[in-house]
Amino acid sequence: MKNMLEFNNVTYLYQTKDSEIFALDKINFEIKEKDFVSIVGPSGCGKTTILSLSAGLLQPSSGNIYLDNAPLDIKNKKVGYMFQRDYLFEWRSIWKNITLGIEIQKPNEKEKKFEFAENLLKKYDLYSFRNKKPNQLSGGMRQRVALIRTLVMEPKLLLLDEPFSALDFQTRLKVCDDVYDIIKKEEKTAILVTHDISEAISMSDSIIVLTSRPAKVKDIVEIEIKEKTPLKKREDNSFSGYFEKIWRELTNENKE
Amino acid sequence: MKIKNNFFEKSSVYNHKNNKNFSKTHEKYVKKLKIDKIFVLFSQIFILILFLGLWELLTQLNVLDSFFVSSPSRIIKQLQIMIKSETLWTHTFVTFYETVIGFCLATGIGWIVAVILWWNEKVRKILEPYIIILNALPKIALGPIIILWVGSGTNAIIMMCILICVVITTMSLLSSFLSVDEGKILLLKSMNANKFQIFFKLILPNSIPDLMSVLKINVGMSWVGTIMGEYLSSKAGLGYLIVYGGQIFKIDLVMTSTFILCLLAGSMYFIISLFEKRYKK
Ligand SMILES: Nc1ncnc2c1ncn2[C@@H]1O[C@H](COP(=O)(O)OP(=O)(O)O)[C@@H](O)[C@H]1O
Ligand SMILES: [Mg+2]
Repeated sequence: MKNMLEFNNVTYLYQTKDSEIFALDKINFEIKEKDFVSIVGPSGCGKTTILSLSAGLLQPSSGNIYLDNAPLDIKNKKVGYMFQRDYLFEWRSIWKNITLGIEIQKPNEKEKKFEFAENLLKKYDLYSFRNKKPNQLSGGMRQRVALIRTLVMEPKLLLLDEPFSALDFQTRLKVCDDVYDIIKKEEKTAILVTHDISEAISMSDSIIVLTSRPAKVKDIVEIEIKEKTPLKKREDNSFSGYFEKIWRELTNENKE
Repeated sequence: MKIKNNFFEKSSVYNHKNNKNFSKTHEKYVKKLKIDKIFVLFSQIFILILFLGLWELLTQLNVLDSFFVSSPSRIIKQLQIMIKSETLWTHTFVTFYETVIGFCLATGIGWIVAVILWWNEKVRKILEPYIIILNALPKIALGPIIILWVGSGTNAIIMMCILICVVITTMSLLSSFLSVDEGKILLLKSMNANKFQIFFKLILPNSIPDLMSVLKINVGMSWVGTIMGEYLSSKAGLGYLIVYGGQIFKIDLVMTSTFILCLLAGSMYFIISLFEKRYKK
């Protein structure tokens, strides 16, 4: 299968008034179409930076990023970014929130997009809430609305930055399942940043393990569990083996 | 589905008005709220009546000299005289007109300046100290200069009104614009939004509640500005009547004008509050 995203020796430095922060150090990886990839690493190592670069919000200090086998360009609108917080606009109804991207990008086939948005709402049980305001929804529902807002623009690549970290544990497992289900059904390529190793194993085809800052790719772990849903994957026999392996890699690094 | 159930539970609490099946405790609680509200309202009316009654009584009994403190009955008499001679309407209208024009211009200009400052960070940084100084300056000190520049009368009064309101309008709105969550801006940027879109889809709607409170503050401030302007130089208006009444020792006139002023400022505030409530729905 072809590559969806490719990082080629990507280095990134943040410039601030009194220092320069070396965030990413020659990052290399490839993500295949329709793959679900997680990125784990110590906090502050540069995970969000990788997503911001992939979204075209930052430009690499050096190195190249290819999206769909062409140099990354934010104007191509192929990337959808889902943030840690849902960032729903409280003054807009759910419907107005999920169609925000259509309003902004003014695509040619507007009607089709609206129809698509409506279908997504119906498919994922949010249609009856379309005229509600975000503050009338639970945290898990808000997160699903945020995902649908991202999907409406039909991005080729989905970026998820710790999207579940604001949810309590039970809701989190449920929403994880929902989101996984949605992404698989819509056949999207996705990158998930998380600090939760179990979450990463249960959702991904492969996991990129980063070192602490400046981040380097320490390992890329392929996950081969046959089960279909994250919840079931968590119960698989090989789960704990993967967990231990990644946990070691994350904690051992200081000794190197 | 679990999440959905949770939601319906919440929404049923939310719609308590449509649902009469609540416990006795809740009924009691609602009743108590109602009683409290009535108590507050009655106390407020009582204080007003007590104040007016005492004022009238003490002046009737000559404990207070009505020449210096006037009295409710004298204010009513004064009102009747002014209604007959039609001076009430002209003076009230002049002041009202100046205030409304000053209020609208100040809010409009303040808003536009805030938008410009939000738009351009360089301009914002360059102008910051000037705005701070302008804000700290007691605007009344500019009175003579205003009169020299725009002439005395209505123009000067409106100018004074604008000066008093405009800086604080700009400062509050700008801080509201700048308080928007960076993440929301990033979200729009990830959708490839331009600055116009960021402003109109996010910054502007997000600032509406703050705009409402600025409007409320400006209602008060614009009356201050207008009356101050009228003190400086005027041939008509409530502020003029107050100064004039003070000079010829006609306290009735001063008190009556002040009373009308209270009514006007109060109703303007009330209208803005209604506006605000309507927006919140
Ligand atoms: N805008 C910025 N300016 C300066 N430094 C930044 C900026 N954003 C992030 N950093 C720094 O870069 C490093 C990596 O950040 P980030 O990618 O957000 O880490 P995380 O892995 O927790 O998502 C951190 O040490 C952070 O302090
Ligand atoms: Mg992060």
